[in-house]
Amino acid sequence: MNEDNFDTLRRLLELKRHEVPPPGYFNRFSSQVLVRIRAGEAGEARAAERVLATSWWSNFFQLFELKPAFAGAFASALCLLLVFGIVYADRPESGPQPFLPGTDPTVTSFAAMTPAAMPSATYDAGVMASNNPAASLQPVASLFGSENPLAQPVSFSPSGN
Amino acid sequence: MIMAESAEPADLEPAAAPVAEMDLVRRAQRGDLEAYDELIQRYQQRIYATVYHMTSNHEDANDLAQDSFIKAFQALKSFKGGSSFYTWLYRIAVNKTINFLKQRKNRIHMSLNDLDFNTENNPDLVALISEKTPRRDAGLKELQEKLNAALLKLSEPHRLVVVLHDVQGHSHEEIAEIMDCNIGTVRSRLFYARQQLQSLLTDYLKPT
Repeated sequence: MNEDNFDTLRRLLELKRHEVPPPGYFNRFSSQVLVRIRAGEAGEARAAERVLATSWWSNFFQLFELKPAFAGAFASALCLLLVFGIVYADRPESGPQPFLPGTDPTVTSFAAMTPAAMPSATYDAGVMASNNPAASLQPVASLFGSENPLAQPVSFSPSGN
Repeated sequence: MIMAESAEPADLEPAAAPVAEMDLVRRAQRGDLEAYDELIQRYQQRIYATVYHMTSNHEDANDLAQDSFIKAFQALKSFKGGSSFYTWLYRIAVNKTINFLKQRKNRIHMSLNDLDFNTENNPDLVALISEKTPRRDAGLKELQEKLNAALLKLSEPHRLVVVLHDVQGHSHEEIAEIMDCNIGTVRSRLFYARQQLQSLLTDYLKPT
């Protein structure tokens, strides 16, 4: 590769060195660059402030936008929770507990009981050990040994019709 | 205005106070914009000239040169000092320009800068055009356009080697470092690019 072969070409290429930008161009160049750098930094700072200023709720949804996988996981978790809730509601683990020992567990209220159906021991003792406020409205045996007047049998004959 | 630094090929590597340069770089890394301003002023002409000679368009060169300095500032924290700041900056500008040219590919629009007043006093250039046209100004302008058109016909790597070596006066070693290739590649590209240019500019090249 003989450099001399290209001597004329090299001298012609030197013409490029004489091409100059508009007058005063380099006087403004660095300030223009610095303005753009400052503008970029200010823009970044504003963006950061905006993110901090937004509520946690919008941040939460922004997270979904940034990470779609997180949105999927969140939706799956919600669905699982819903399905679990439905299944749990359809299949109760414990049925209605007998209100009193020895009674039919399907009978849940004293109001639906006849005096005869009431457990005698409990009835006689007159002690209702329950926190159920409904129970306190039910007839209680007298503390002085007399029978409860509310437990008196009544005779009822329907009128002639 | 004269691009004094680009017109002095032998004085391209910043020989003046390399320690001061590293000091400026460290300050700029800490966000000191005054220090970075100093660095910009130190290299703006050379960076602009390289980009301009690659694009043959002042507006594009302006945008790319500014973008290169901005990108360099943003990436300054990653600069470890493995090479000189100058070479590192050059690499950013060159890569940016090549990427731009690949996108521009089919949109070649020259907005050439004016020639400075020294052009007419350059005996070599005067000799080159004296037999072409009687009017020197017209001849120089025409020669400038033909030369840039020929350069734009080269591939980006070949054009870059010619610009860095024959226009800006970088050594083969510097070009190899800037282009991240070996010296043999630089030499072969330069030879091929010159051959291409010679054939494209036959009418303007006469043996001296």
